[in-house]
Amino acid sequence: MKNSTLVFRSLGIIIFLAGLAHLFSFGVDVSDDTPTLTSETPSEPMEQGKVATPAENTETDFLTDQWKVAYNTDDFKGAIIYSIKKEGKVYNAYTHQYEDENGYAEKAEGSKALTITSFNGSKGKGIYNIEYEGKQYEVDCKIAQVDENTFTLSYDYYGYGDVETWKRH
Amino acid sequence: MIDFLAKKLDWLDVHQLFYIFNDLSLFYIIIPFFVLELIRYAYLKRLDKDLVLDSIANVITFGGFFLVEVILGILAITKVYYWVYNNISLPHLELNWATVICCVLLADFAYYWEHRTMHRIGIGWATHTVHHSSPHFNMSVAYRFGPLDAIMPVVFSLPIVMLGFDPILVLLSEVFVQVFQTLLHTEIIGKLTKPIEFIFNTPSHHRVHHGSNRQYWDKNYAGILIIWDRMLGTFEPEKEKVVYGISQPINSVNPIVVFFHGISRFVKKLGQIKGFSNKLLAFLKPPDWMPKQ
Repeated sequence: MKNSTLVFRSLGIIIFLAGLAHLFSFGVDVSDDTPTLTSETPSEPMEQGKVATPAENTETDFLTDQWKVAYNTDDFKGAIIYSIKKEGKVYNAYTHQYEDENGYAEKAEGSKALTITSFNGSKGKGIYNIEYEGKQYEVDCKIAQVDENTFTLSYDYYGYGDVETWKRH
Repeated sequence: MIDFLAKKLDWLDVHQLFYIFNDLSLFYIIIPFFVLELIRYAYLKRLDKDLVLDSIANVITFGGFFLVEVILGILAITKVYYWVYNNISLPHLELNWATVICCVLLADFAYYWEHRTMHRIGIGWATHTVHHSSPHFNMSVAYRFGPLDAIMPVVFSLPIVMLGFDPILVLLSEVFVQVFQTLLHTEIIGKLTKPIEFIFNTPSHHRVHHGSNRQYWDKNYAGILIIWDRMLGTFEPEKEKVVYGISQPINSVNPIVVFFHGISRFVKKLGQIKGFSNKLLAFLKPPDWMPKQ
């Protein structure tokens, strides 16, 4: 068999199998993960005198606020207040304040802890920065709105997982 | 079906599944099957000292191979895999049935090319000849490895990590392919039904791969699916009775001789080759290559 035939057949097999995996990961997604972070202007011009609706999807404004998360681990007992801001097409959560178990507060350094890459008003996906034994890991996570003042953040990293409850502060 | 394939899986479940297939299979299928093979050898009056010592040598070479694998794993493999995954890979794939199945199939295809390379380049054959040097064919032969056998898979599996597959999933898939391969090293099972023989690698196909008969050389490299050989022109069915071993037998059951004979023969060959560039070429050219003097 010619070398060129071997190359083309092999590439075809690799592209087919890898493409299938990417299709099932990113193409065939459950509808509740569809990103709706849009800031498009209305397609039709506004009538004069009419109050313009915000261009941004109001459902996703749900996230832009300060959120408190309680922790009870060997490493940290207390709570962290995060500040979620919209930056471009994603939402980033920065550490804002630490509180120990006795309620003493200390200002945080403002490091990025979470990036929410998609959110449709009730469910979304993101990347959560977790620290384990002194090392930082970027872990895929899912968020789900519980009520207008609460959402859960869940992740699973090779069996090490957790579900955190984020409450509006 | 699509929902099932796209459904996100829990890492613990996937680990558990691979643990059952990869780790526990030694106890629930491989060892019982090997015992069955020994009973068959005894029944056929073929259970002699040479076969027992050969089987022991096989297991000892696996110890040497495993030691190299562990050292490589600790020092480099996991670090290299994760560096590639975090720096030069396509978007990271989710863990779902589709990615697990595709990863196993890609690991199987990578195994085909890695195996073919081991047969077709000098340094590859210098280590892989150990696996083929036994004159017997049973499950213990599956554990007969050469000193550098752990290195080549890394080269061929890194592209899978670059495609966005999780490094741990890639490693688990590679082991799965190896475990499947182990089960093919037997004379007990004859030919299976035609559809199975057409799609999957079977004991019959793998006996051909271990044959020293001239028409069986460099054939049937597959791990799980024989269709790779059919598609890439290296398939050969089992017709003539297979004579196991290599063209220049080692005639030894000493584990040290078995483990290092390929490398020592390769070093001897390098000594006979004149010129530095020719010596380098001997690493990459086919095992029977010699420069024109």
